[in-house]
Amino acid sequence: MPIRLDAKSLQQAVLAQLLIVELVLFAVLSGSFLKVGNFLTVLRNSADLGLIALAMTTVIVTGGIDLSVGSLMGLCAVMFGKLWRDAHVPWPIAALLAMVIGLVGGVINAGAIARLKIHPLIVTLATFSLYRGIAEGITGGADNFTHFPQSFLAVFGGQPARIPIQLPVLILAVAAFYLLLHRSTIGRALSTIGYSPDGARYAGINVERTVAIPYILSGLMASISALLYAARVDQVKADVGIDYELAAITAVVLGGTSIFGGRATIIGTVLGLFAIRLLENGLHMADPARLGFSTHQLAPQLAGIATSALLLVAIGLDHRTRKVRSVARIVTQELDMKNSQIAVLCAVILAAALIVVGGNFVLINGITKNSAGQTVHVAIDGTAAAARVTDDGSAKSAAPGASALARVAHPITIGMMPKSVGNPYFIACKKGAVEAADALGDTLLWDGPTGSDPGKQNEIVETWINRGVDVIAVSADNAAGISTALREARARGIKVLTWDADAEPDARDFTIVQATPEGIGSALMDNAAKVMDGKGSFAIITASLTAANQNEWMKFIEKQRAAKYPDIQMKVVRPCDDQKDKAYSEANAILNSFPDVKLILAISSAAVPGAAEAVKQSGRTDVHVVGLGLPNENKPYVKAGITPAVILWNTMDLGYLTVVASQALKDGTLKPGATSLDSGKLGKLKVDGSNVMLGMPFVFNKDNIDGFDF
Amino acid sequence: MMSTLYKHRRQLSVGAVYLAMLGLLAVLRPDFFHKQFLGVFIESAPVLICAVGMTWVILARQIDISIGSQFSVCGVLAGVAAQMHAPMVVVVIVALLAGGLFGAVNGFLVGFVELPSIVVTLAMMVLLRESLSWIRQGEEVNQLPDYFQWFGSTQQIGQWIILIVAVLIWMKFFFASRYSTAGRSVFAVGSDFEAARLAGLRPRHVTFAVFVLMGILTGVAALLNAIRFPSVDVKFGTGVELKVIAAVVIGGTAISGGRGSFIGSLLGVLLLGTIGSMLLFLASNHPGATYWERAVQGIIILAAVATDALERKRPA
Repeated sequence: MPIRLDAKSLQQAVLAQLLIVELVLFAVLSGSFLKVGNFLTVLRNSADLGLIALAMTTVIVTGGIDLSVGSLMGLCAVMFGKLWRDAHVPWPIAALLAMVIGLVGGVINAGAIARLKIHPLIVTLATFSLYRGIAEGITGGADNFTHFPQSFLAVFGGQPARIPIQLPVLILAVAAFYLLLHRSTIGRALSTIGYSPDGARYAGINVERTVAIPYILSGLMASISALLYAARVDQVKADVGIDYELAAITAVVLGGTSIFGGRATIIGTVLGLFAIRLLENGLHMADPARLGFSTHQLAPQLAGIATSALLLVAIGLDHRTRKVRSVARIVTQELDMKNSQIAVLCAVILAAALIVVGGNFVLINGITKNSAGQTVHVAIDGTAAAARVTDDGSAKSAAPGASALARVAHPITIGMMPKSVGNPYFIACKKGAVEAADALGDTLLWDGPTGSDPGKQNEIVETWINRGVDVIAVSADNAAGISTALREARARGIKVLTWDADAEPDARDFTIVQATPEGIGSALMDNAAKVMDGKGSFAIITASLTAANQNEWMKFIEKQRAAKYPDIQMKVVRPCDDQKDKAYSEANAILNSFPDVKLILAISSAAVPGAAEAVKQSGRTDVHVVGLGLPNENKPYVKAGITPAVILWNTMDLGYLTVVASQALKDGTLKPGATSLDSGKLGKLKVDGSNVMLGMPFVFNKDNIDGFDF
Repeated sequence: MMSTLYKHRRQLSVGAVYLAMLGLLAVLRPDFFHKQFLGVFIESAPVLICAVGMTWVILARQIDISIGSQFSVCGVLAGVAAQMHAPMVVVVIVALLAGGLFGAVNGFLVGFVELPSIVVTLAMMVLLRESLSWIRQGEEVNQLPDYFQWFGSTQQIGQWIILIVAVLIWMKFFFASRYSTAGRSVFAVGSDFEAARLAGLRPRHVTFAVFVLMGILTGVAALLNAIRFPSVDVKFGTGVELKVIAAVVIGGTAISGGRGSFIGSLLGVLLLGTIGSMLLFLASNHPGATYWERAVQGIIILAAVATDALERKRPA
């Protein structure tokens, strides 16, 4: 057995070196990366994933897999919220019950796998749907639990003496799993089963009973993670824990655990977890300008790209060393071989790091050229659009007091976050923001989540707090959840704005209002009713069942319908996951199932063209689409009369105004009590309380849509 | 007789669940068969094509979770080619070539470097997805020439082309799985790698080949999905890997390799493709039913595979 341990410690040595490379790289790239506070933030944000990864290690060592953990975490989180808020169960009991639910979820997996002998991948693929489905079902997707009791927040997410509670929890869990896997007979048995279930049976192990243990533990850990998450973000809904299963598997495999089972290391999992998390954090913190580059940030997508490259390199190396090792056994010069192996690995890792740096250099140069090109293009576009709208007089009156922005004496750093990067809606916002930031001479950091994990926005805000930005401007994906992080930013003296979607009022200084949820909801309903002549039935295609904004709009759509259009009925709501082809399928099914539906209200930007294409292909001329979307992708349908109205605001102006307001907020010209804001090319805009008003939502139709290009 | 039934119990149970669903619809909502039935087939065609590839991959005791990202990238590349006014033949070649290339990278790392396929394709999935998001920034490929949608023909003909291509591909590989040497060698490699090698096969080459095939078929599926629309969205195909893997394993192909059937995969695709619209038709008076759809889907999958429990009681 000593050889196997050697292979493990080798993998760990490699990972430890990787961590050092990351630390050095990001220490050079960022002034605030190597600070205790930043590491504590990373730790705080990694514990919930860490627990799941630890349990996943014990699952994978048996040769199994558990894809349902993220969904189960979501289910436990909403059950905890439901019990506490709606059933008025005291929170400690609710937390206990949530853990019981986690256990039951684990037992269901374990039963189907160990007793019914169904393959773990199949079982957990089914429960992956089942658990998330129950969470969505009981909350109707939208139900949001927040403002948990202080005592709960303190117990599961407190930071006594700035040490997050997650630290002792994680240390305890690591110790417990280490003892279980590496120092107990159960651990040995799990490992043996992973090598050979039949061999384990002949060795006298009760395979059926032993194999159940990791899945039950996995369920329990999912529930504890859910509680840690609930306390950290102070908000849960049915989307908690999305993508956690893949992140956990990545950490486990990167740590050196064999995906085929048998060989596992808990320390490796911890190292793998932090290698990934520090990489993510470092990429958010990195400021390439320190090395003389002209940009202040790296693309957020690099985190995923680098992680998967590391994963390939790590398993490739692991595989190589184990091959070499088996040769070494024959040569018997084991020690010498090992030293040279380590030397070779060090060289390879350093080379890999250099490649990453070199790659970044090329990529960054690419970005810089690109965004410079875009800016010029935008400036022309923006004015053209504004001019045309002004010409036909229907959009907004000519901006009074419009002026060019002047460079400021003390440039500031603005952290501006969309709900997600790589979304065309926000790209248009970014164009406007870049235009304003360039004119003012400010540094604009544009960073946001790349996936659908709802906790990611909080992490980025916390990174910005550590990085020390002047103003944070957020489009809130989860109003209550993001508010927890924004309050902390304000407490640290950072000015906070929200734009596009507001957070809770006490969590920000001002909000940029392009349209209130009520305004959007009633505008959609009014336009729909106009097309429907005030009678008949319609269906809604939304983004996802848990999308916060869409759920808010639907509330006001229904309110407006009930108040003004009693002869109109809403038949069904279908999600399209922001995918045009799924929106098409859903619209098609709606048309076939509800022949009396005369209108589809598409409230996700992907849903409008998707639904319109379905209507077009059905050949029905009596059905129309109204929705919230970007002008460019809807032009053909608007012109063909399928989509009589698309509602939106000028998204470029929204980004532009956000940056202008950030500067004004920092300068002190935008302060409580202000009634107007000088907004460069947008002129003097009204400030109402803590709302900076961009203007009303705008209706694109056949006559005006050609004047817009975004 | 009993043993034949037992051998095909998964296909039978999945088929029974599918027929039960159709029966329920026939009684309660016969209008389902008016248009939606065919609609489900057309929408399932790209999934079926991917499922054919995935059946080979899983038969060879591997897995490929990168096909969702491959699907998106192939579709977008085809769109970009069309946007540059490349002739349709070139567009088709671009999609197939891109898929084949991704498959070859996966196949090389899994087959010749001998890395675990789930890790390789997990990395590939994230790599392709994030790169695409970075390069396109979420922007669709639009203003495509007229010959792109439905290959420039009518909607009616285009839909039939999609269906026929999918059925032909399925039939080709259904027969290949039973009667061709190449097909049987995949079964051999999936059952026992070492034995297959000793029997004179080249298991590494076989592994490489199934991944290349998977990639090419993903390219075909992406293309057939894209030509239904006048523009190509960067999110086409997101999450298709889960649907495809679920369909194949529900259909009775063993994750442990060497055992499985193309009929099962076809039934799996149809079952999963029908659940959503079935619920929409049956619960049309209950707008809230949408929110339980995923839970019902999970239960139906569990019910369809529960016959595996019989395995313990009867020796195979």
